[in-house]
Amino acid sequence: MDSKELIKKAAWVRMEVLESTVSGGKGHIGGTYSCTDILVALYYGKILRFKLDNPGWEDRDRFILSKGHASLALFAIFKDMGIISPGLYETYGKNGGLGGQVDISLPGIETNTGSLGHSIGIAAGMALAAKMDSRDYYAYTMIGDAELFEGSVWEALMFGSQHKLNNLVVIIDRNRLSVMETIDDDNSVFMNFGRKLELFGWNYLELDGHNMDEILAVLGMVKLSDKPSIVMANTVKGKGVSFMENKANWHHGVPTKEQVEIARKELSSQWV
Amino acid sequence: MGISKTDIRDAFFDEIYEIGKADKNMLFLTDDMDAFGLKKFVRDFPDQFINIGVAEQNQINVATGLTLCGKKVFVFGICSFMTMRCFEQIKFNICGMNLPVVVVGIGAGFSFDSDGPALHGTQDIAIMRSLPEITIYNPSDAVSASAVARMAYEKNSPSYIRLDKGVYPVIYENSFELQSGFKIIRPVQRISIVSTGYMTSVAMVLAEGLAGRGINVGLLDLMRLKPVDPLFYETIRNTELLITIEENSLVGGLGSIVGELLSDNDSDIKLKRIGSQDKQFVVYGTRNWLHSLNNLTLPDLEETVLSWLRKTHEI
Repeated sequence: MDSKELIKKAAWVRMEVLESTVSGGKGHIGGTYSCTDILVALYYGKILRFKLDNPGWEDRDRFILSKGHASLALFAIFKDMGIISPGLYETYGKNGGLGGQVDISLPGIETNTGSLGHSIGIAAGMALAAKMDSRDYYAYTMIGDAELFEGSVWEALMFGSQHKLNNLVVIIDRNRLSVMETIDDDNSVFMNFGRKLELFGWNYLELDGHNMDEILAVLGMVKLSDKPSIVMANTVKGKGVSFMENKANWHHGVPTKEQVEIARKELSSQWV
Repeated sequence: MGISKTDIRDAFFDEIYEIGKADKNMLFLTDDMDAFGLKKFVRDFPDQFINIGVAEQNQINVATGLTLCGKKVFVFGICSFMTMRCFEQIKFNICGMNLPVVVVGIGAGFSFDSDGPALHGTQDIAIMRSLPEITIYNPSDAVSASAVARMAYEKNSPSYIRLDKGVYPVIYENSFELQSGFKIIRPVQRISIVSTGYMTSVAMVLAEGLAGRGINVGLLDLMRLKPVDPLFYETIRNTELLITIEENSLVGGLGSIVGELLSDNDSDIKLKRIGSQDKQFVVYGTRNWLHSLNNLTLPDLEETVLSWLRKTHEI
């Protein structure tokens, strides 16, 4: 898919997320929309290596959506690709059906999610296993920016560079909004972030998380690195629907009937 | 029964060495915790050894990733840290995905006596047994310490091994006892004692002393604390007075395990639980001194048992 098609696909995914949120009566729209473009690029833009007919292929790239509360976007992509059935997709929000996180009972999912701060260490273990077994797959994970407050994130960052895991890629969904606050660059976690990570031994990259060409170009660059890569994707929480953008209260919630109509109109205009 | 010549740790690590020698897919991770018996493994199989550094949460997370990619991973550290510092990672990743990771914690009970309360392992059983998927081994001698290394290695689900240190009487002698996870040390009587780990060697002396007073008590060592083999209850069901002796906190340890078993089986057996108090011991001293604070020394135990037997009109 070229970037124009990817943009349309991302708008379609956002529409699916909206409809699932409405029909399921729950959903984390804001943080899902901030990372939708990146997810679409990863799966449709040939960033991740996988075989649709063989989800357990040993040489597949591993991807962990640590912010699993953005599961609705992943479900839409998986349905579209045939990784999960339409019937399973429809179970979202129902007792025993698809829920607010992902787990390994689903094809294409590498690890259970829901607890923050685990995924970089897990992906590091996967990347290390690849090195040990002389395999060339990559381990990717996408974390939320507020997740950087977890101490175990920093334990894993140190481990990744210590073991020279250049097949490990961390993408940060930098939407600047945690559940309760705005986290700007003057916050001690983000102060001199790139320099800090470079001093930690990481290959630091930045991109606009809503610019498809840039996402593809920058994520392609990680393969040139002899260090693990960390990619700061600058994003907007609620991206794609005007009244949701940069609003912390859309971390979790269901739009009203009127809001749904506006959102549908805005999203459908993005894929024509 | 004689005293084993082998330290319980050496017995364990000798078996780990053999496992690693035969299976190049087996990895041993540590949070910078060393052990004498580990040195040979590190020297001969450096590619199968990773010192994660003092970062237990990351140790479990890395073990998770390695296991999901097909490795057989042992993780090692001091038991209080290996279970409590990273309990959530063990619960959510290892147990939540039923991964065959082996968590090995050294320093069971008060074995790191004068190193202070951070290193005391008196609450780990309680929290670890709240995890549905895990098998908990608390070996009490060199034979069982060696055997559980292999049993955990061969399991396709999570395990937790508590390791003590030192040399102990030989308790386990055959594979049936190891498979069932308990051992009848003295034939079961109307009055019987159940103990685990380090306290079993103390309970053996206690039972001998009681016999000298004309009070014959049965004695069982419960080595596998979870799951408890159904045969265990069948073995104790005809006792009338049961005493549990452990070094763990009375909250959630062996006494709780046996108490729950009796309750679940509508048993009439009277139960006396002896163990560490529900208290943190922010003090420094020898294991025996810490036991004295908890009425766990041999004379204390004898007095507690005799007074309970008097109270129940047994003597």
